[in-house]
Amino acid sequence: MSKEMSYRDWTEVERLLSRRSLWIIHFCTGCGAMEMPAIMTSRYDMERFGIMPMATPRQADIMLVTGYVAVKTLKRIVRVYEQMQDPKYVVAFGSCPINGGLYWDSYNTIKQLDKYIPVDIYIAGCMPRPEAIMDALLKLMDMIDRGEADGWRRYKEQFEVYKANQNRVFKRWD
Amino acid sequence: MKEYELFIGPQHVGITGNFMVHLTLEGDTVVSAEAHPGYLHRGFEKLMERRDWSMNVALIPRICVPEPDVNEAAYAMAVESLMGWDIPERAKYIRTIVLELARISAYLLAIGGYAGTIGLYTAPQWMMGDRDYILDLFEELTGARVYHIFIFPGGVRWDIPDGFEERVKKVMDYLESRLQLYDELLFKNEVFFRRAPNIGVIPKDKAVEWGVTGPNLRACGYDYDVRRLDPYAAYEEMDFDVISYPDSVKGFDILSDGCDCYARMVVRRVELQESIKIIRQAVDNLPPGEVTLKRPNPLAWKVPKGYAYARVESSKGEYGYFVVSNGGKNPYRVHVRGPSYTHGINVIETILKGSNIADVSPIMFSLDICPPDIER
Amino acid sequence: METFGIDFKELPVKGNTRKRLYGSVELDRIKEHIRKFKEVGFNHLVAISCIDWIDDGKFEVVYHLWSYEELVDIFLSVMIDRDNPSLQSVKELFPQAETYEREMHEMFGVYFDGNDRLTEFILEDWDGPPPMRKDFDTKKYAEERFYSVPPVGDVDEGV
Repeated sequence: MSKEMSYRDWTEVERLLSRRSLWIIHFCTGCGAMEMPAIMTSRYDMERFGIMPMATPRQADIMLVTGYVAVKTLKRIVRVYEQMQDPKYVVAFGSCPINGGLYWDSYNTIKQLDKYIPVDIYIAGCMPRPEAIMDALLKLMDMIDRGEADGWRRYKEQFEVYKANQNRVFKRWD
Repeated sequence: MKEYELFIGPQHVGITGNFMVHLTLEGDTVVSAEAHPGYLHRGFEKLMERRDWSMNVALIPRICVPEPDVNEAAYAMAVESLMGWDIPERAKYIRTIVLELARISAYLLAIGGYAGTIGLYTAPQWMMGDRDYILDLFEELTGARVYHIFIFPGGVRWDIPDGFEERVKKVMDYLESRLQLYDELLFKNEVFFRRAPNIGVIPKDKAVEWGVTGPNLRACGYDYDVRRLDPYAAYEEMDFDVISYPDSVKGFDILSDGCDCYARMVVRRVELQESIKIIRQAVDNLPPGEVTLKRPNPLAWKVPKGYAYARVESSKGEYGYFVVSNGGKNPYRVHVRGPSYTHGINVIETILKGSNIADVSPIMFSLDICPPDIER
Repeated sequence: METFGIDFKELPVKGNTRKRLYGSVELDRIKEHIRKFKEVGFNHLVAISCIDWIDDGKFEVVYHLWSYEELVDIFLSVMIDRDNPSLQSVKELFPQAETYEREMHEMFGVYFDGNDRLTEFILEDWDGPPPMRKDFDTKKYAEERFYSVPPVGDVDEGV
């Protein structure tokens, strides 16, 4: 087997295995956190797809940003995102990370999450239903299969641009 | 022994919402604690000054996430006080049903969360699953599972659908049959008997001065409940008991003097039964009639000048709205008084001193702190 | 009910049932009045609010007390100057007043004498004027700080 063929086969196998066991980091950032326990119960069971909540960022694959993000929380989200290991995916929940949502004129919430960390898939609604969350996670699994969910690569390639945007919003890093 | 600092930060499995506590520890004992809110601040009071009186009703439920209806009810009562409107009887009964259903779903979340912090993880799974039946009822009545924009100044927005009363009664029967299972899981469990009594004690003579309200105050022996002391909606016609520990809890062992985690959880458990009783009475005695007043065009209300304050008993304590109007199209100032404002900062910093680190999470959950209403 | 010489007027109430009384107090006697009312039975401090009357150039600070025995709310209102607002702290009477005063210091800029914990509370890295004052325009601030951040990548992709 030549080297190119085995690399291609291995990437397909890796994607097939990783899409079956994505772990979500347990970080509820905004109002949308109310529907997170609902999808873990037996009515909308998400564990049958292999998705489980996990407490540490070092062993998690998906970060679910549930709802609006205040400036104080954004600092912690960026730190947690940088501690996760590649490949990692971000799912933005609700209408607030898309364009500010209901708090479009507030002085303390950020308006578009994509300027600070790369987002792979958005879920619309205020609040989204649990079925919408499951649909989005299944679509994310298809995207991983086709190789389209590459937010983590974008973060590495355009690191300076993301950092400059983040430094415009907060002043100190401690 | 040397001291070290520990941040129980915003990403923690044992706290609802984002809230940080900065502890200084010596070995396993907490020496001092400092609370840092602010992760969920959206500037609500400033945003409310930029929108009309009726547009604010869409913004208001997002202040308290587990139980959004108390916000709508308090705001509606404050606006009705300024305008001088008397709502019809049927609207009062429907408001009572909605508020009590929200109270049951918030209690299930609180009790389940507390069980999760002491290690009994089956209880939150079952309680969140049962909460879904109540959210289904809300969806049938108002159209949304979590944020219902249903209670509006002047009454409620529309009448209940056909057959709603039978479905409510079926859900109440189902919940009553589950209470016995919850007792076996949590309330008569040996782990609960060892880990809950005499943990997180609030001194009884200082509780009112520290601003403790709601089930936490009733666990200290006072029988103060806003539904009896300052009645609103249809509570004057309902027959229910005010539960305080240790006088009115029946069927549960008295293991301590009061004001500790054990008393707070037992009070919530017995109040679940009282809420089911109130809903059954309200559904049986619904008076006929209209559900809303004839209101003028909501985009052009003229609210007279003045001050008004409306309070509501939520599952966490006393929830109040202080509204100031100067005759214009927008409110001049709205001050939201959340119950966790006093529980979450001063009470926590005082009672965490001297406790074990394994008890920090159960104490915080038993006080039922909801961080969004500290910083709105 | 004892009034200690204050002229109370009743506020309108619909929904709830008990009386709410509102009265104005002079600046140098407010702490003494709160202490007197606390001794008579008004031992639940519900809230301390601040209202910005920008046209008159004053802040109005309202102390709200409730008595569980007499079932009456009283609102004690005091007017202070907008350019140099400062009051005495009531921390010794009610320990929870410390939190209300910290928030008022951060949001309105009122200084409380006797409260040594007026540090950063809710906002972090805040360098603008106190946000709840009426002359702070929140929409303009949001546009300058957040809407002017450039998007990453091509403008067509993402949002």
